[in-house]
Amino acid sequence: MQTLFPWLILLLPLAAAALISLFTRPHRDLSARLSIGAIVAGFWLTLLLFALPGAAAQAYETRIPWLAAGGLQIDFGLRIDRLSLLMALVVTAVGGAIHIYSYEYMRGERRFSTYFACLSLFTFAMLGVVFAPNFVQMFFFWELVGVSSYLLIGFWFERPAAADAGLKAFLVNRVGDLGFLLGILLVWSRLGSVHFGELERRLAENPAALGAMATVAGLLIFCGALGKSAQFPLHIWLPDAMEGPTPVSALIHAATMVAAGVYMLARVFFLLAATPHWPAALHFLEGLDALEIIRIIGLFTALMAGLIALQQDDIKRVLAYSTLSQLGYMVMAIGLGQPGPAMFHLATHAGFKALLFLGAGAIILALHHEQDIWRMGGLRRAMPLTFWTFLIATLALCAVPPLGGFYSKESILAHAWHQDKLVFALAWCGSVLTALYMFRLVLVVFGGSPRRPRDAQPHEPSHIATWPMLFLAGLTVLAGGADVEGFLAGGAQGTASLASRLAGPLAHAPFVMLAGLAATGLGFAMAWGLYRGAYRDPLPARWSTLASALRQRLLLDAWYARWIGGSFEALACLASGVDRWIIAGAAVRGVHGSVELTGRLLRLAQTGKVSTYAFALGCGVAALLYWLIR
Amino acid sequence: MSILTVILLLPLLALAALAAWPSRQRVMFQAVTIGITFVELVLASLAAWQFDVSAAQSFQFVQKVPWIPSLGISFHVGVDGLSVGLVWMATLVSFAAACASWEIRERVKTFHLLLLLMNAGVLGAFASLDLFFFYIFHELALVPTFLMIGIWGRGGQRSYAAFKITLYLGLGSMVLLLGLLAVFFLAGQTTFDMVELAAQARQSPFPVARQQAVFPLLLLGFGILASLWPFHTWAPLAYGAAPTPTAMLHAGALKKFGLYGLLRVALPLVPDGARDWMSVLAWLALGNLLFCGLVAVRQKELDRLIGYSSVAHMGFIFLGIASGTALGITGAAVVMVAHGMLAALSFGLSGHLYQQTRTLELDRLGGLLRPMPFLGTALVMAMLAACGVPGFGNFPGELLVFFGSWPPRPAATAIAAAAALVVGAVYALRAVRKALHGPLPDAWQAADDLSNPWRRLPFVLLLAGLIGLGCFPGPLVDRIQPAAAAIARPLESAPAPAALIPLPAAALTRPPEEASR
Repeated sequence: MQTLFPWLILLLPLAAAALISLFTRPHRDLSARLSIGAIVAGFWLTLLLFALPGAAAQAYETRIPWLAAGGLQIDFGLRIDRLSLLMALVVTAVGGAIHIYSYEYMRGERRFSTYFACLSLFTFAMLGVVFAPNFVQMFFFWELVGVSSYLLIGFWFERPAAADAGLKAFLVNRVGDLGFLLGILLVWSRLGSVHFGELERRLAENPAALGAMATVAGLLIFCGALGKSAQFPLHIWLPDAMEGPTPVSALIHAATMVAAGVYMLARVFFLLAATPHWPAALHFLEGLDALEIIRIIGLFTALMAGLIALQQDDIKRVLAYSTLSQLGYMVMAIGLGQPGPAMFHLATHAGFKALLFLGAGAIILALHHEQDIWRMGGLRRAMPLTFWTFLIATLALCAVPPLGGFYSKESILAHAWHQDKLVFALAWCGSVLTALYMFRLVLVVFGGSPRRPRDAQPHEPSHIATWPMLFLAGLTVLAGGADVEGFLAGGAQGTASLASRLAGPLAHAPFVMLAGLAATGLGFAMAWGLYRGAYRDPLPARWSTLASALRQRLLLDAWYARWIGGSFEALACLASGVDRWIIAGAAVRGVHGSVELTGRLLRLAQTGKVSTYAFALGCGVAALLYWLIR
Repeated sequence: MSILTVILLLPLLALAALAAWPSRQRVMFQAVTIGITFVELVLASLAAWQFDVSAAQSFQFVQKVPWIPSLGISFHVGVDGLSVGLVWMATLVSFAAACASWEIRERVKTFHLLLLLMNAGVLGAFASLDLFFFYIFHELALVPTFLMIGIWGRGGQRSYAAFKITLYLGLGSMVLLLGLLAVFFLAGQTTFDMVELAAQARQSPFPVARQQAVFPLLLLGFGILASLWPFHTWAPLAYGAAPTPTAMLHAGALKKFGLYGLLRVALPLVPDGARDWMSVLAWLALGNLLFCGLVAVRQKELDRLIGYSSVAHMGFIFLGIASGTALGITGAAVVMVAHGMLAALSFGLSGHLYQQTRTLELDRLGGLLRPMPFLGTALVMAMLAACGVPGFGNFPGELLVFFGSWPPRPAATAIAAAAALVVGAVYALRAVRKALHGPLPDAWQAADDLSNPWRRLPFVLLLAGLIGLGCFPGPLVDRIQPAAAAIARPLESAPAPAALIPLPAAALTRPPEEASR
């Protein structure tokens, strides 16, 4: 059972995707049931694995050979340990809720079955990343996650914006994957294996095995996370990805796929933490280590995205930038050398961010696809259930005790406090921003009076959609009680009593906890002052330059399109010109042309007139005679 | 009689029988061609199944009939692990091409006779173990290509395309002939038999200076035939103008002849000449991958885009060959099989699209996924396969090429990976975005999907082949790997070219292929 269950968890969604796309496409209901059934079964099997005696205690693997050539041996296997079990639970629990919610949200869709096939394909790919025991398999599923995300973002492919967003997401991810692949090749060429366990063993035996490329290898692998987890400078795809259906945004672009980067970093943490060493060409970077760079990038992303979120008017884009910001916190935690808190925050964030998106989806559905928060307002009375679940998730995101988000974020901040006061101060500012943009959202969307057209009568979605929201709200409330860090660290469960754990932050780092609460309070007070009963955003009137820069996403997207996109186009144009005019034109046609020219010149002699030939003959004889007699 | 001889004789016999058939009964010709290619596919699958993996480096299903003993020419067929996959792929592509020939409406008889001739030539080239037949069979397939483009081709440029491909590939064949004859004379003018020549080259290698003179001829000849940069400009032009079945069969199967020849003839017979050229070949491969990939980005027509993408894919194969390692060569051979199916699929789909819309200009297409769900989905999958998405056959091949080529040439491999992952995605997804996504223009509201299941069959088979290879590369890799190792051995025997990043001496940190030796 210990090996059968993981295989089932992984392969059931694939089977569902295959069955739907091959056979059951005309039967909408059956297709949806297959897809939902596969992931819910996966959820129960994961729970069973947790419950099995000893299953979670010890890491184990199951594998079948996939490819073997010239000394490279790649297996297709599953690695079941605490990290992968936790992640599988997050994916199947949150994913299952979102699958069920989709049934309601996508009901009127023409390609309903196709949607569920893509969703199941995504689940399969994501679980493949989770259980991967080696780099190649992880890369395999990593790319597959990107593909299914591309298919789902562009699900409404007839809308140019959606089609472009899918393309952009895939391309930006590919840039990150390039670094990931090079990192894998580099690690393999130095350590001679792609298997995580084997690599860890070899690196432990010989810490200098990576040689001068240690830091470079770590950073190249980090590039993969840069793309998938949308960290600066590869963050630009995530806000655009909101063009996809809202459940997709909840599942892929908030809870799971974007967390894959953080998960991967936690998985290969031993490589990132290797002794820093730079090659001679990069000697000027000596002193910086990989984790430090990761920390800076995470922190920068957290702050930048928090700022941009302040001035977004599309409800989903606010949430998207909030996701970026929280992912920045997770990456920063990795950079602080703390994969445990990063995974804890990943798990709680998956729950409450998915809940926020489901709430946003319910609002969008109720308002007939209106996404501008300034045309909502007063929804608290019309949609009480959505309001309360949204509020719970917001409080969790703003780290209000005793919700799950409080414990995970507090843990990250506490580690920042112990290691680097500057990082802590900046991360604290990020917390203020978080509370500010989230309460802005809540106050504008749910508070005040309705600013929508009179005829719209918003109402709650049906039970199929509200149950998943309640389920996620329950998880968000209860998550604080889960000792994720202790579980990942391998300690026996239940050593610390629930009460002592719940009061832990106060006991360990009271200052950090109070500072965190103060940040939330400050953010809330600012939001209350600025946005209570507001009919339009007051910021552009007060600080027009800053607000317009934030509205234009700090001009980064335009800059990328202009300089990176533009120079790529120019390069392609140059190649195409060289191909057309120089290789095909000058070289090939040149040879062709000179042969033809020779032919034409010779043809001039072939006039067909006897007199011409006689003249040529005469000239020839004369020349011959001259040469002979001379 | 060997199963290979049967596979080779079938199309020739059908050709003879059909030649005598009255040309009025047009359906007959396609039916027989499809039937014959299907039987070939079944037989080739049987052969691939029966192939003894434990003896993959030796030739199996061998048949040898002496023909001109004084020159050492004999009809000699057989496959090893390297060619068994290619023969199987060629029969699959031939079947798909035969199925796609329903678009031909004029001179149906002649077309199918030429198609059968081409089919026999392709299979013969991959199955022959005699240099003479190896070359003749390839020419046998090449000549019908020229005729088919000239007579049944499409677009205003077809005469020019037919003219250019004839001259260009004619030149390539001529250079190749010189190279092959040079090998024959180098080996003492006793035999054309490739197995004997290889044994001779192994036991007493030819003088290095001679090898160095011969290899460039072989590289140029084979390179032109396989559209090595910068000798590639014939390919997109010809494929854009060719009728669909011809483009499928040529781009899918026949073009692999040049690559197969490098692996089968050039590297084993003149390894010392080859070694010096390997770094040149690696940079030329980048010309294919990066340069042609960038050119593909700028194409305005779908068939030209696919044509350039197909040229770009050759870069993986050249890069794998240039690595000189067993891993890289295995990867190159896997890409050959995968790309054969992919090229046939892409050209088949674009050909059908052309039948529906009468244009392949990307700016005029759009939104076609809606009226054509089957064709659209298949084209999306083909484009994803083209940019190396896992789950399709190209992925394991490209992966092996990267792994094989990284230790000797990290810089070139990094550029190749950039071209594959980023540039490849740009052109492939741009094609999807422009042709299939976006609003649907009024003109194509009534575009007809492949509604007839029989017309879907070849595409379904090709996709199944690609996905099967992508998910389970083991069987093919197991067959190729011993043969690839045998080819790589003489190349590695001399000191390896200096790596850009020197490898540490500790045994632990060496790449596994060196450590395991």
